[in-house]
Amino acid sequence: MSERKTWLLFLSLVFVVVLAACGGNNEPADAGTNNNEAETNNTSESNNNEANEAAGENSEGDYSLAEDQTLIFARGGDSVSLDYASVTDGESSRVTEQIYESLLKFDEDSFEIGPGLAEDWEVLDDGLRFVFQLREGVTFHDGTDFNAEAVKINFERWADPDHEYHFADEGYTYSVYGTQFGGFKGDDGHVIEEINVLGDHEIEFVLNESLGAFLQNMGMSYFSITSPAAFEEYGSAINENPVGTGPFKFVSWSKDDSIVLEKNEDYWLEGYPKLDGVIFQVIPDNSARLTALRSGEIDIMDGLNPDDVEQIEADPELAVFERDTNNIGYLGFNLDKEPFDNPDLRRALNHAIDKETLISLLYAGLAEPATNIIPPSYMGYNDSIDPYAYDPDLAKELLEEAGFGDGLEFDLWTMPVARPYMPDPERAAEVMQANLADVGVTANIVSMEWATYLERTEQGEHDIFMLGWSGTNGDPDYFFGNLLHSGAIPGGNRNFYRSDEVDSLLNQAKNSVDEDERAELYKEVQEIVHEDAPMIPLVHSIPVLAGSERVKNYVPHLSTSEPLTNVELAE
Amino acid sequence: MESVTPVKKQPMPGPENQEPHITETESISPWKEAFWQLRKNKLAIVGLFIIIFFIMIAIFAPFLTSYSYQTLNAADRLQGPSAQYWFGTDDLGRDIFTRIVYGARISLMVGFFAVTGALIFGSFLGILAGYFGRWVDMLISRIFDIMLAFPSILLAIAIVAILGPSLQNALIAIAIINVPIFGRLVRSKVISIRQEEYIMAAKAQGMKNGRILFHHVLPNSLAPIIVQATLGFGTAILEAAALGFLGLGAQPPTPEWGRMLSDSRQYIQSAPWTVLFPGLSIMLVVLGFNMIGDGLRDALDPKMKN
Repeated sequence: MSERKTWLLFLSLVFVVVLAACGGNNEPADAGTNNNEAETNNTSESNNNEANEAAGENSEGDYSLAEDQTLIFARGGDSVSLDYASVTDGESSRVTEQIYESLLKFDEDSFEIGPGLAEDWEVLDDGLRFVFQLREGVTFHDGTDFNAEAVKINFERWADPDHEYHFADEGYTYSVYGTQFGGFKGDDGHVIEEINVLGDHEIEFVLNESLGAFLQNMGMSYFSITSPAAFEEYGSAINENPVGTGPFKFVSWSKDDSIVLEKNEDYWLEGYPKLDGVIFQVIPDNSARLTALRSGEIDIMDGLNPDDVEQIEADPELAVFERDTNNIGYLGFNLDKEPFDNPDLRRALNHAIDKETLISLLYAGLAEPATNIIPPSYMGYNDSIDPYAYDPDLAKELLEEAGFGDGLEFDLWTMPVARPYMPDPERAAEVMQANLADVGVTANIVSMEWATYLERTEQGEHDIFMLGWSGTNGDPDYFFGNLLHSGAIPGGNRNFYRSDEVDSLLNQAKNSVDEDERAELYKEVQEIVHEDAPMIPLVHSIPVLAGSERVKNYVPHLSTSEPLTNVELAE
Repeated sequence: MESVTPVKKQPMPGPENQEPHITETESISPWKEAFWQLRKNKLAIVGLFIIIFFIMIAIFAPFLTSYSYQTLNAADRLQGPSAQYWFGTDDLGRDIFTRIVYGARISLMVGFFAVTGALIFGSFLGILAGYFGRWVDMLISRIFDIMLAFPSILLAIAIVAILGPSLQNALIAIAIINVPIFGRLVRSKVISIRQEEYIMAAKAQGMKNGRILFHHVLPNSLAPIIVQATLGFGTAILEAAALGFLGLGAQPPTPEWGRMLSDSRQYIQSAPWTVLFPGLSIMLVVLGFNMIGDGLRDALDPKMKN
């Protein structure tokens, strides 16, 4: 008897090992619909052909359209809020890009601005006055008309803490508005003097100081337009009940699982969107997400392990999509906490991190080591800065000089989900933990849920943390202003870096319209920041996504996300 | 009722009960006899060797390998087993053999402390419940029932979720979930011993409860406890690995086997050795403890004697 038990045990252990292989597999909630769809495809071929003929005029390639045009987009973490201006995470804007639109719109593959909700615009008085001609006949998803008054209400809502839709009492803050437009109503640096409704579809922005990135800002997803009627109806619950003008309408959101959107039949762009619906599915584990893609449960996945790129390229059923480098992954210090207020310590630790090894271990080469916080392609990138070289001996020496010769112990916070700038944050933390151990520093890795992580780092509860930033308007100010300006506390500046010098240089650069002058100012900022070392810039990565061959016309935008207006599914 | 059912649960009166007779007539202690029995059981001996093997590995870990379990090596990442890296390297270029060897320390330590903790608390509560009966038994047994109502790993996850993920907390959680298992065993054993004449004799002599409990009752309940402890060792290691796999146990860079499995599972196709060796190690250790446990049970069970 005992022998049989032993064998049973043996078998069960083998089973455990096998289970390990497929662990963490999160079944998408609607995997069933996909299967059903496959069946109907087989049984009703004639219907299918009709559908193809109907759609034929739009599809340019030599493929026929699938009957079910619902795209399932899988990602590692859930959105934090669907009130786009109050959060800065990419998982939120990925969804709000579908529901909302801004006055201007970026090109499909660059940060060139073009018409969005505004058909035309004029720059007057040397960049102190902007007049936008708004698109007519556009309606919000709740049926109300989009007009100049709606634009005005949205901007006033962000700018004025006393505005009835600012929801300050519910804890809403709009840090990106503050950093992009120099503050809020009543602040010294706030550039938007007044907003005048000139007609039903004509609106004027008057600035009290020029702002180099004003038009660029107007294209950002942070400054999209919400239906004023929805503010009235939902109040502060607007973050769970988004109503915009975009190609897709919000249907439902089950937290940490999926967000369902359906086609906006009344979309102003005739014949678009192509898809009938989009489902954003959360599958936290990278390999489980890839398994789901291979089995056809999902159509596109973000957060691909760079290691898997080769395999996917070899698979005729799958395709790899690359975004251009436009981000920074960094290790930040909390300058409000001892001993990280000591710049000598921060500089010493800068020498302790081996970025090259990090890249070859975790990015499969799809990244470059970072010196500054803006990507090298950006205006004002300072390439004369001598990066902190990886040198554990020097790091040790500097640590000793700074008074930490006996070692140092702290918590190293890491994100729980794959980010575009960091495909496997927990592993990356382990690499840095090993680097730090080499110089006698003990880092205890701490991880928590994504939304909690963002909230607690914003509150400054961390010692050292990992995070990153992706450009969403192509302007260097978006990086500097949000990560290093003291005005972005609490907000994007989770290093709690406060430098009057940097603040004033950044304000100057922001308000200048002369590109050369701006570039010079940013270069100066980078020198100061390099010296102060509030963070360790790690990498600029090339984020990779994978998708099924069926997905057509999908062009990943340089920013973290893109509207799926043109995308369609082939059979 | 309470005093009748346990007798059914424990049909075999342990060999120890006749201890005075045996020692007088044959002069062979039941423990010696059990050892003879055990030696005849080949599987148990194999198990014993496996465990001794892993214990040696754990003790002499630093002498078995020239690598550190934490040092990264980007150039040699995901290398297959070779003369240089006996078990290959993982995705961070760390030597898997080294990590397995140091991981043996973690796993054996978890098994030891979790079982010891559960044993001490479980036995104590079990003795109290079994010896005093009535409301004490009622209270303790119902607490055990409540704990056993949850699947053990779920309870462990809940406990770690409250305490925070770390090796120490995982160890505490595993100890806690094993308390009722030992407790119930001891309780039923104690209830049957309580009826014995020698206990009554002790009571009649005016012996204090504490002395009766620890000098007469406990030593006579040892056999099933030893068997359960040995088997529990294996279970505890498996549970620690499961918690590690879920990221709730040992935190990096601790080379815990379960954690190694989960960290490497995305490479199961491209670099199977990264999961094979940690998996095998868990399997072998647990198998070893179960084989000894089974052998011990057979050896200590008078019904199995020929």
